[in-house]
Amino acid sequence: MENKLLEIINTVLSNRGKEQIVKLTSNIHLRNDIGFDSLDLAELTVRIEAEFGLDIFEDGIVNTIGEIFEKLKK
Amino acid sequence: MSKNFYIDNQCNLKIEYENLINDLNQIKSFNTYCYSTDYYSIFRNIILSLLIDEPIYLLDFDFSKEEIKKLTEIDDFEKIANINVSLKKINNFEDVLNRISLVKNWKVFLYTSGTTGLPKKVSHDFPSITRMVKSSLKHSEDIWGFAYNPTHIAGLQVFFQALLNKSTLVRLFGLPNDMIIDSIINYNVTHISATPTFYRLLLPIKEQITSVIRITSGGEKLDLITMQRLKNIFINATILNVYASTEAGTILAAECDIFTLKKENQHLIKIVNQELFIHSSLLGKSDTFNLINDWYATGDLVDVISESPLRFRFLSRKNEMINVGGYKVNPQEIEQILLSYEHIKDARVYSKKNSVLGSIVCADIVCNDNTITIPEINILLRSKLQEYKVPRIINFVESIKQTRSGKKVRK
Repeated sequence: MENKLLEIINTVLSNRGKEQIVKLTSNIHLRNDIGFDSLDLAELTVRIEAEFGLDIFEDGIVNTIGEIFEKLKK
Repeated sequence: MSKNFYIDNQCNLKIEYENLINDLNQIKSFNTYCYSTDYYSIFRNIILSLLIDEPIYLLDFDFSKEEIKKLTEIDDFEKIANINVSLKKINNFEDVLNRISLVKNWKVFLYTSGTTGLPKKVSHDFPSITRMVKSSLKHSEDIWGFAYNPTHIAGLQVFFQALLNKSTLVRLFGLPNDMIIDSIINYNVTHISATPTFYRLLLPIKEQITSVIRITSGGEKLDLITMQRLKNIFINATILNVYASTEAGTILAAECDIFTLKKENQHLIKIVNQELFIHSSLLGKSDTFNLINDWYATGDLVDVISESPLRFRFLSRKNEMINVGGYKVNPQEIEQILLSYEHIKDARVYSKKNSVLGSIVCADIVCNDNTITIPEINILLRSKLQEYKVPRIINFVESIKQTRSGKKVRK
């Protein structure tokens, strides 16, 4: 799951010509650390839903990688 | 030498007008529901229905049994709807035309090509279906490339244009590209009417084709890039862009992408909040038309260029606009940019729902070769579009699904 999520995040980053990240840790902030804007977050949620069948933003904003992990583990 | 009525390379069929008359003279029964894969049999049945002045229902052959049951409200129409026929002997084709001109009760029932839900039933009488037919001696030598589904309004209009001028029909619809091009060249096709999707999928064509003098495009918005590519191949052709619908048939025509409304027709068309409305007097008959004070909302959005005379350009279908966080995106604008890239053969831009922005823009792309990558496409799009319009998810696909009318499926 972790590797797949890393792959998805890097796809979003590389499609926008941004530098990819090497490792995911729970405290990484999607906006402040990775630099995602609302379009990136929308793309992220569509790609995660296609892969894991879960809408991570359904109940409100998710801010960190750790929060995504929590959602996906449920 | 007798003239050809219908040529079909796929079925190895060449029907002369004499053969058609012989066939008509031998027919003993008629089924009011026409459901066949055989184009010639569909055409022959339409002519027969006119000769006996009986209504005809045209059913797409890919309708399921379940759909047909719902549409016709008959369990077994093949058995129930047969009528015995005893036609007065037809001597020649002029005889056919004379009898057709006398029809009173004849109607054709069509089913609109809705991409979702059950198709809507629409009927047209002879004057409304032949409203745009141009009939004169000079058209008798026309050879029509038949590039529409024969059970849909656009196909019917081409059929009547050919029939009433005793011209030849050459099947192009539903054939592989090499057979389409061979048919156009071998039979010296002079006129082709088709959807932009049909033309796009036919391109690129390696050689220039000189026999075609008129290319008509309708059913969807024709993009300027496809128009230019067609001009480069069909070097002797005038390209005509028509606006038509199952509900109303052909209404407007333009030689580029800007439609000008003639003064005498100004009372039949109006534009409200960018949407095109058609007056009910232009429509066929259907129980499902939702009229507002005699006006039919087409769902087509236009950009008004001038008020008097009324000149406008089509933008997109109202329900196709994609809402990205409150910003409206016209999928056709993005498709046009994608198609300007020579490696891209066809593209479909659509939305994917999400709980962050409502929708994001996605694209399926058919390439001519394997030489482009998604990052390259992204760079191209970002140089021409605002960020929210750039498709966030791009897939390379083998083909793009079409509706029964040969248009792009957008839902």
